[in-house]
Amino acid sequence: MFPHDGQSRARGLALKQTAAIARATLVEAIQQPVAFLILLSAVMTTLLVPVFQFHRFGEDGRLARDSGLACMLVFGLVLAAGTAGRTVSGEITCGTAAAALGKPVRRVTFLLAKALGVLAVTMLFWLGVLCATLLAERGSAHFISHIEYTGYVMDVITLVLGVAGVAVALLVAAARHYYGRRRFGVSAFVGVVLSQVLVVLATGFYNRLGQLYPLLGEAACLDSGAGHAHAAGWVFYHPELNLRVIPVALLVLFALAIFAALATALATRLPTGPTLAICAGVLLLGLAGDSLLIGAPFWSVRGLVAGLLPDLQNFWLCDAVARGGRIAWRYVGAAALYALTCCVLFLGAGCLAFRERDLG
Amino acid sequence: MPASKSPVIETRGLRKVFRDFWRRPTVEAVKGLDLTINDGEVFGLLGPNGSGKSTTIKMLLGLLRPTAGTIRVLGSAPDDTHAKACIGYLPEVSHLHTFLTPRETLMYYASLFGLSRAQAVQRTRELLAMVDLEHAADRAVGGFSKGMARRVGLAQALVNAPRLLILDEPTSGLDPIGSREVKDLVCALAKGGVTVLMTSHLLADVEDVCDRVAILDRGVLCAEGKIADLLRQPDAVRFEVEGLDEPDAAAVRAELEARTGRRVRQEYPAMSLERYFLQVVARDGQQRTFAMAPFLGATLSAPETDPTPTSNSLPMT
Repeated sequence: MFPHDGQSRARGLALKQTAAIARATLVEAIQQPVAFLILLSAVMTTLLVPVFQFHRFGEDGRLARDSGLACMLVFGLVLAAGTAGRTVSGEITCGTAAAALGKPVRRVTFLLAKALGVLAVTMLFWLGVLCATLLAERGSAHFISHIEYTGYVMDVITLVLGVAGVAVALLVAAARHYYGRRRFGVSAFVGVVLSQVLVVLATGFYNRLGQLYPLLGEAACLDSGAGHAHAAGWVFYHPELNLRVIPVALLVLFALAIFAALATALATRLPTGPTLAICAGVLLLGLAGDSLLIGAPFWSVRGLVAGLLPDLQNFWLCDAVARGGRIAWRYVGAAALYALTCCVLFLGAGCLAFRERDLG
Repeated sequence: MPASKSPVIETRGLRKVFRDFWRRPTVEAVKGLDLTINDGEVFGLLGPNGSGKSTTIKMLLGLLRPTAGTIRVLGSAPDDTHAKACIGYLPEVSHLHTFLTPRETLMYYASLFGLSRAQAVQRTRELLAMVDLEHAADRAVGGFSKGMARRVGLAQALVNAPRLLILDEPTSGLDPIGSREVKDLVCALAKGGVTVLMTSHLLADVEDVCDRVAILDRGVLCAEGKIADLLRQPDAVRFEVEGLDEPDAAAVRAELEARTGRRVRQEYPAMSLERYFLQVVARDGQQRTFAMAPFLGATLSAPETDPTPTSNSLPMT
């Protein structure tokens, strides 16, 4: 036998265990009614913002976009912290963590797998709300100039399809539960995300007036006045979505990943309530990080707080895409590295805290 | 065989002090426990509530950190994953993911031991048959009764064909039939060479299956030894004769009293209530138990993967 055989087998086993625990965490988390309610609230709030705008200053799309991203951050924070609290602290309390750690599972492997599971839940949520945000921005009133119509028009079809997608996902989940005895929570959560993705893909087949591209081609292309490029020639598929939102949403996802790591680390020692409260505090202080640093000496409480906490202003750049602005992918890469560093630090601290934790 | 007497579990001066949030000591659950459990033994850990049985077991599994003392389990430290690969553990309460089905639960635990999918599927099927839960294999365990959840817990403890089986209150929540089956299972596993450490409040259960017992009280080891030695009354002798009628019995008693000059007590032994219950009610259960026995033997003699009990290598990849 080669001397490194044992090591590679141990690594393989650790990977297998990580995958199993992360998968169980994901399924358990999205099975919870509260997780589904958080997703549903975020998606529906985002989709309905364009409908309930009473004052228009020509920035309906921006308002819908900003609301969607705010929902993504706030609801995502609650979901990530709540899931981490329940899956780590809750399992320590109820004994399922002890049952798993009674098997040949290292504590580090267990905690990292839990963090991956929480991150997977957060990413699913993020995908659903991102699609809802794209739909809401497209559905909100835009100024268009067309042979048939010139002026502000709402893309009602897109908004109706988004909401209908949610309703259909719920019906399908109920049918799967009734006829196939499949888990309602899982079907509904995944179904809502999937429905938003499908509606986003479907928007490429029609314009804001509801005219189908395959029938009318270039003639159906509208000038929305929001910086969208015209498609040249015969048009089959032209989603009039503001894809510049994606880098901004990715930054929000990085912030949520930091909170998932922080909450997982905290939950090794604290119950869910305090974990949520601390995460909310870090959000507020992290967003105020720049203000805290202004005029603060290096060795001061303000400087220390700002230095220790993640600077969340780096991840909240909604204004950067206003009026046709873009976020450079290089910046997104740098933010990803910063977020990764924060996650590693938080999870490292979590592993240290969990190492000596009594599981009784 | 000298190898069969090597200690599987060894603790020396084991102490556990629980502390509160501020690190102040709240209770000393285990006080200087010295314990040795040898290979192939069925060992019972007895004691009233709060005597430190479950705390001891959790320290053996590395779930609780001892305050002082040393622990060796299968020759390794308690949190050594190589040793844990050879241990099966049934907690006092079957801590199960309520949203998973028994099949998914066993697949989950099989994956924690590194079994391949094919191996895990086969092992899961065998264990579900063994604990008689095939009919409920695809229902979420959250809706199970305590006894059914206990069966799932027992199956997950055996998923790796363990060399050391630790059972914390294994018959808790089970009806007499289930309880009998668990005891039969323990006996069958012991015959297959598995070392078993079990705790129970039901002393009759322990008496039925254990070779040796230790009695803990408030964290202190009060008594330890073979059951026969501990329970033997050296100044009394009992005879049992079948088919003796009343006049003969009276004559024998009179003769004995005359010879020894002591008072002789005459009794008509009764079967245990458990045995009577099984005779009256548990015909299906008994059949199930007997049907289970050859299957158990096959499982023990030919596990899916070699758990390599003599070396502490990772067994199930």
